[in-house]
Amino acid sequence: MYVLDKSQLPSFLEAMAAGRTVFVPAEAGGMTRFVPWQAGIQLYWEENPVISPKELFFPQTQVLYGYRTLGQQLEILSRDEGNSPRVIFGLRPCDAAATGIMDDVFLTKGYEDSLYRSRRQNTLLVVLACRRPGPACFCTSFGLDPTRADNADLMLYDLGAEWGLEAVSPAGQDLLAKPAGPVERQAAAPEFAGDFPLEIKVDHLPSGLRPMFRHQVWDIMYQKCLGCGTCTYLCPVCHCFDIQSHNRGVQGYRYRCWDSCMFSDYTLMAGGANPRPTKKERVRNRFLHKLQFMPERYGKFGCVGCGRCVLKCPVNLDITQVANRLAEVVANA
Amino acid sequence: MNPITEEMQQIASELLTAQEVKCVLGWEKGTLWYQSAPAFIFSPDEASRLVWDEFCLPNLSSYLLDDRYSQDRVAIFVKGCDSRGIVRLLSDQQLSRQRVYLIGVPCPGMKDPAAALGQKPGDTSDLPVASKCRHCTHRNPVLYDRLLGQPVPEVEPSGERFAHVDEIEKMGIEDRYAFWEKQFARCIRCFACRNVCPACNCTYCCFDLDEPRWLDKEVAPSQNAFYALTRAFHVAGRCVECGECERVCPMGIPIMALNRKIIKDINELFGDYEAGLETSEQPPLGRYNPDDPDNFA
Ligand code: SF4
Ligand code: SF4
Ligand code: SF4
Ligand code: SF4
Ligand code: SF4
Repeated sequence: MYVLDKSQLPSFLEAMAAGRTVFVPAEAGGMTRFVPWQAGIQLYWEENPVISPKELFFPQTQVLYGYRTLGQQLEILSRDEGNSPRVIFGLRPCDAAATGIMDDVFLTKGYEDSLYRSRRQNTLLVVLACRRPGPACFCTSFGLDPTRADNADLMLYDLGAEWGLEAVSPAGQDLLAKPAGPVERQAAAPEFAGDFPLEIKVDHLPSGLRPMFRHQVWDIMYQKCLGCGTCTYLCPVCHCFDIQSHNRGVQGYRYRCWDSCMFSDYTLMAGGANPRPTKKERVRNRFLHKLQFMPERYGKFGCVGCGRCVLKCPVNLDITQVANRLAEVVANA
Repeated sequence: MNPITEEMQQIASELLTAQEVKCVLGWEKGTLWYQSAPAFIFSPDEASRLVWDEFCLPNLSSYLLDDRYSQDRVAIFVKGCDSRGIVRLLSDQQLSRQRVYLIGVPCPGMKDPAAALGQKPGDTSDLPVASKCRHCTHRNPVLYDRLLGQPVPEVEPSGERFAHVDEIEKMGIEDRYAFWEKQFARCIRCFACRNVCPACNCTYCCFDLDEPRWLDKEVAPSQNAFYALTRAFHVAGRCVECGECERVCPMGIPIMALNRKIIKDINELFGDYEAGLETSEQPPLGRYNPDDPDNFA
């Protein structure tokens, strides 16, 4: 393992940031999220940031192209943002796993999303091994290891006074070769301590859910939902978007933006028909998508147990409670 | 068991057994010990889920909008602020009084769940009062069919209620603009603030309209500001200060400072006014008086 005195982290990051943007967890504008590293920035390590790193690959609003009309002429203005090299430094194993799922969604099954790919392909992941579970974590329910990530380029370990670094990929190895680089030394990865506060029992999922679409259990689970976008927007795995235009006079631009299946207009058709007319159908969709449709399509659950929705849903409509309730119904069926 | 909890469960069970109501809205324990979540109780045997504790923050009144055309009668537990939410719905004619059986619960003030985050369950006496309860002027329900327990003494309104507004007012115009721009820059437009609000009770919200699209779905400073300011003005004079919008905001945006600025201005322009106290109320911005001030300086 390579080790680095914690006081040397800024110079290590500075070297890493030469020719790249390095995103680090920090408190910014009253919120915790991943922001470009710059000298003097205070890193936030206490918990997983509220806003997940998905916005770095899949921004909440992303301009696709601009346009302008001149009489009968139409001019298309490209807004390609290019794909400069980036590093996300210090994301957790759950968010790294979520990034892997996003890769499946945007880059496999016959359609490659070029916007996603251009931001993803030049991005290296430096994954922080967790040392204890957070207040609403349940990553282990999905078989994830809170101290590892398969798709990491570099693993980062908190060794107390030092950071430990272990290359997982050749690109990660290159990151260690910087002049201000860490030194190689014998050191053990820290132990993970503490019990997970929450758990989903996945034994009956997803197959047991297949006959449950019309089950009456849904009739008692949705009432308290406010139909807001909190759970889906904070979720590192949720990936729905809408495409809209911003038109002003003779010019405008087309953009894509996050959308949420919890919103009433998500499935609203022209003419006013809505196949998911009430909160019941929307809540059912959110949970079946994560617990049944995603595993059926990608072989992975649409949840990595990061706990963001559990902590931030204003009415505690908690995926662990819902999933365990469903599992109970399936088990007794 | 807390005697109020016990009484709640009993009343709910009785009302449901007698089929006087179809559903009872109250609170139940959530996933984490400092979460008490909205509970919809449909049968007497579920009544034992109900609780009353220092984390019953959610205002349940806006749920009544989900079935606003239903004839089914429901019972709902209301704290002081929640009862003002009900008054809001009644005076905005979104609810008929016969449809609801109101069970008032005098409220000593809730505790701040954010301060309990990550802590072991235990003594809550050291936890600070929830931010939404800090400037409460009506802890006792203002409207109810039946009251649980004893009324609690009301707290004399202190100057603190508008302290944050005063502070922002003192900023120069550019600093003030920068302050609000920074606050709303992190708005993710989840609409939780609107969806929870009893004053946001339109059947079809202007922000959901596709054609014309008043609010672009783009999350950008201009659109976020348009959303925040329009919502604040749409509830102007009708906001019952329940603080739910700010409580549910996942981004911790100080929405109440905006609402209280308007409340303060209304007080100064039209005389002291508190919304959500009388079902026959005519909000100051909803009526015309020939001698209304017209100084928009
Ligand atoms: S589950 Fe919670 S966070 Fe998600 S839409 Fe419903 S109220 Fe909002
Ligand atoms: S569903 Fe909730 S816990 Fe699961 S990944 Fe999304 S935000 Fe995290
Ligand atoms: S869910 Fe697991 S990997 Fe994610 S922060 Fe919690 S312990 Fe770490
Ligand atoms: S604007 Fe906020 S404080 Fe006012 S009534 Fe609505 S939710 Fe309550
Ligand atoms: S609750 Fe907060 S983040 Fe959500 S729309 Fe309202 S102000 Fe924005």
